[in-house]
Amino acid sequence: MVTIDLAVTPVREANETMRAAAARGEDIEIANPDARHHIGVGLIAPVRVKVKGSAGYFCAGLSHGADFEVDSNVGWGVGDSMYAGSVVVGGNAGAIAGVALRGGEVVVKGNIGSRAGQVMKSGTLLCCGNASFLAGYMMYGGRLIILGDSGERVGEDMSGGEVFVGGKVANLGADAKFADITDQDLDEINAFLQKYDIVFTGNFKKIVSAGTKLHYGATEPITRPQPHTVFSAEGVYWNPKVTEDIAVKSQIGRYRIRGYGAAKAVPHFTDIALKLDPNRIGAGDPLKSVNLAMVLGNRFGAKPLNLSMPVLIAPMSYGALSKSTKIALGRASRLSGIVENTGEGGMLPEERAEAAQLIFQCLSGRLGWNIHDMLRADALEIYISQGAKPGLGGQLMAKKVTKELAAIRGIPAGIDLRSPSRHPDILGADDLVIKVEELREATGYTKPISIKMGAGRVRDDIKIAYKDGFDFVQLDGLQGSTGAASTEVLENVGIPTLAAIQEALDGLNDIGHKGDMPIVLMGGIKDGVDAVKALALGASAVAMGTAALIAGGCISCMQCHVGNCVTGIATQDPEHEARYKLDRQALAIHRFLEAVRWQIAALTAALGHSDFRQLSRDDLVALTPEAAAITGLPYDPDYRGVAGEFHTKVA
Amino acid sequence: MCGIAGIFFKGANSNQVLGKALVDMLDGCQHRGPDSTGFALYKEGIDGLRLRFLVEPEDEQAPRRIRAALAAQGARIERETREGVSFVFDVAFEGEIRPFAYAMEHAAKLVSMGTSLDIIKDVGSSHDLDSIYHVGEVHGSHGIGHVRLATESDVKPESAHPFWATGFADIAIVHNGQITNYWKMRRRLEARGFEFRTDNDSELIAVYLADKMAHGTPLETALEESVDDLDGTFSFLVSTKNGIGYAKDRLAAKPMVMYEDEQLVAIASEEVSLNRLFPGRPLATTEPAPGTHRTWSR
Repeated sequence: MVTIDLAVTPVREANETMRAAAARGEDIEIANPDARHHIGVGLIAPVRVKVKGSAGYFCAGLSHGADFEVDSNVGWGVGDSMYAGSVVVGGNAGAIAGVALRGGEVVVKGNIGSRAGQVMKSGTLLCCGNASFLAGYMMYGGRLIILGDSGERVGEDMSGGEVFVGGKVANLGADAKFADITDQDLDEINAFLQKYDIVFTGNFKKIVSAGTKLHYGATEPITRPQPHTVFSAEGVYWNPKVTEDIAVKSQIGRYRIRGYGAAKAVPHFTDIALKLDPNRIGAGDPLKSVNLAMVLGNRFGAKPLNLSMPVLIAPMSYGALSKSTKIALGRASRLSGIVENTGEGGMLPEERAEAAQLIFQCLSGRLGWNIHDMLRADALEIYISQGAKPGLGGQLMAKKVTKELAAIRGIPAGIDLRSPSRHPDILGADDLVIKVEELREATGYTKPISIKMGAGRVRDDIKIAYKDGFDFVQLDGLQGSTGAASTEVLENVGIPTLAAIQEALDGLNDIGHKGDMPIVLMGGIKDGVDAVKALALGASAVAMGTAALIAGGCISCMQCHVGNCVTGIATQDPEHEARYKLDRQALAIHRFLEAVRWQIAALTAALGHSDFRQLSRDDLVALTPEAAAITGLPYDPDYRGVAGEFHTKVA
Repeated sequence: MCGIAGIFFKGANSNQVLGKALVDMLDGCQHRGPDSTGFALYKEGIDGLRLRFLVEPEDEQAPRRIRAALAAQGARIERETREGVSFVFDVAFEGEIRPFAYAMEHAAKLVSMGTSLDIIKDVGSSHDLDSIYHVGEVHGSHGIGHVRLATESDVKPESAHPFWATGFADIAIVHNGQITNYWKMRRRLEARGFEFRTDNDSELIAVYLADKMAHGTPLETALEESVDDLDGTFSFLVSTKNGIGYAKDRLAAKPMVMYEDEQLVAIASEEVSLNRLFPGRPLATTEPAPGTHRTWSR
C-alpha cells in the first residue's frame, strides 16, 4: 500500500506515483484530497485506490481496470471515458457523472448533478439518491439506474441504452419514452445492487429512446449529380444548382444536406499575389536549398510532431470516409513525412499502423475516445468546431453504423448516431482549461495537445486557446469541407479562411503573444501556392483535406452525404469501397503532396529565402480591395499576372 | 469565463477573517481564471461612504479631479489613501446616491461605493492582490470574490469582477457565465435613465437586481425573477449590506457548490475552494439545483 498525501504532493506528481505503484501491483491511498482535480486520471492497472475525502473533477477519468473508492464527494465527470473498473462514491457527484462511460461501473451513494451519463456508451452508472435534470442526455448505450427521483427531461435525445428510475420522474426528455420493464432487466439490476450491498425495494420505470426525431418525413428525390466544380463556378443567381435546390425543396419542404464546403466566392488566397520574379522560379534545386522541416507541439515540453514540410492532413473521420481511404491518407502522410489526423470517430488500427505520426481527435460525443488510443497517438486534439459547420453536431444514419465502425466508436451497432454540438465538459474557457489538464495528466504530459476550431469569433477564441494551454491551433475557415451539412450553414456561417488567419494573428497580438502559439490554417487550401501565401501571412503551417481526397480519386460528385460514393471514398458500402484502389491512391496522394512540397520550396527560394519561416507579409500584395481590407496588405492590382498562377508586377 | 466564491458568516456581530477566507477560496480555483482577481468585502469601520477609484499610474491629475468632483457634490473627505492602482476616499455625504455616483465617474473610474462595501480588484492572482492590498487582513461579515479569464474584453483592472451595481451603494456581483439577452436588458434599463460603465454582462445583473431592490422588491424575489428574465448561462453571487444570495440558470451549465453549517455559508464554483476553508476535512456539500436561488442575511 502506497499512501500519497495531496496536502504536500502536487496532483501531477501524485498521478505519476500512482502509475508506478499500480505497475508494481500496489494498492493506493490518497490522503487530504480536498476536492483536487484529476485524481487517478489515466490509471490503467487493476489496483485499488482509496480516496480519503472528496475528489474534484474527472476522478478516475480515462482509467481502465482500477477500482476507486471515494469517501466523500466528487466533482464533474467522475469516471469520464472509463473503459472498465469501478468507482464507488460515498457522497454526492457533480455534473456529468459517468460521462462517456465506455464500460465499468460507477456507483454514487448520494445525489448526482445534471446531465449524468451524458454520451455514455456502455457500463452502469448507479445513483442511490436523486438525479438532477437531463439524466441520460444523449446516451448511446449502457445503463443508468437512479434509485431516487430524477429531475426534468430524463433521457433527452438518447439514441441507445436504458434509464431506470426508482422514484419520481419529473418528465421525459425529447425523443425519450417509457418502456415495459422485463424480468431480465430486474434480475440484472438486483444482481448489480447486491454486488454493492445496496437494498432497494421500490419499483422501477424504464426509459428508452423513442427514435422519432432522426427520421425525415420525405426523402430527397434522386437527381442527376452536379459536381461541386460545376456549380461553384457558375453565377450566383440562377445557376443549375440553385434551380435544383428550389425544385427539390418544393418537394421535400425542408433544408438539404450535401458534402464539400462553401461554393460561393469569398476573398481567398487567389486575391493575394506574391511579389516575386517568375524568372527565379525553379532555378537550382529548391528542395535542397530551402528548409521546409519544422516541429509542432512543444510549447509545454511534450514530444513534438516532426514535419518534413509545413503541411498536415486535415482531420477527416473514419465514418465519413471509408477505411481504405483513411489507410491511404495515413500511408501518404508517412511517405511524405507529415502528419495524419483521425478526425471524429476513433482510431483505426490500420490507420495507426500506416501513419508514422497521427493526431487523435476528441469530439463532443467522445466516439472512439479512449485512453489506449490516446497513448498510441502522437498528439491529441480537442475539436470545438469546423469551418464547414461551426456550432453544429452531426448525425450518421443507422445503415452507415456498421459493426466495425460501431466497435471502434464504442457504441451499439445499427443505431441512428447523433453527435452532439457541444462537449459535455467544455461549456466555457474555464471548463476547457480543466479538460486540457485532464488529457495531459492521462498521458503524462508527453503528447502535444491542439484545438480545432471553425472560424467564428476567432479574435476572442484564439486568446482562450492561448490561455487554456494548447500547443497549437488548427483553424478552419468558411471554405472548409465536410461529409454532410446543410447548405444554409455551409455557405453562410463562419468567416473566410483569409479573415480567420488575420483575426487569429490580431488576437494573439492583442495579448502580446503574436508568434507564441503556432496556427495551422485550413479551409480551401488547394496547393503549395496557397500554402506559401498562408505562411507569409502568418500561419505556421497549413492542412489539406479536400485537396488530398481529390488527389486520391474524389470526383466531387456531391454524393458524400448519401454514402453511395462511386469512387469508394465517402462510403461504408463494401461494394463501393471495393472500387477504391488503396495502393494506387495512396501513392497518388503522396505524389500530390510532393508537388505541394516543390511549390512551397520553389516559391520560397524565388522570394529569396532559404527557410519557409523567412516568408513574411512583405512578400505579399493584395489584388482586390476586399483582400486588402481583410488582411491589411497593400492593395496593388498591378501584380495581377496574366497566367494567374505566379504573379509578377506588370508595370 | 471564471470562478466565483462567496462567504457569509452567521451571527449578529460577525467580524471574521473574511479576507483570508476569500483569498484562500479564490486561490483554490485560480485555474479557472488566471488573468485577474477581485473581492467585494463587507466590513465595519468605514467612515461614512467609501469610494474606490481605479486610476492609471500615469494619470497624475486624477486625485485632484476626484477631490474637486467631491467638493462640487458637497461631499467632505474624511480619509484618502492610495493602494495599488486605486484611490480610496472615505467621505461624508448626505445626498442622493445615484446622481452622485454618475457625477463622480466623470472624475475617475469608480468601482465601488458603500458604507460597508469595498471592492478590491486588479490584474493578477489572489495572492498577488493580497500582497498589494492586504486583503487577507480584512475582517468582516461577508463577501464575494472572482477570478477571471479574459475572453472578450482586455486584461485590465476595470474589467475584473466583482462589479458594483453602478448607482446603488453596497451592492456587488460576481458572475460565471454569459447573458445572451444582454443588449435587450441593457436597452430597457438605459431607457429608464440608468448608465452603464462597461459592456460586461455582470454589471447588468448587478444594476438589474439593485433597481428591483430600490423599488422595494426583496432580494429573494429579485433573484427569482432574474432566473426568468436573464437568458444564457449563469451562476452568480450577489452581495448586499446585509447578506449574500445566489441564482443559477435552468441549464446548470455553470458549476456551483455550497457548504453550510451553524457558523457560515460558503459557495464556490468548485468544492476545491470550499475545502480550502477546511483542509483535510470531507465536507457535506450540496449542489444548488438548476433554476434555483437562495439568500442569507442578518
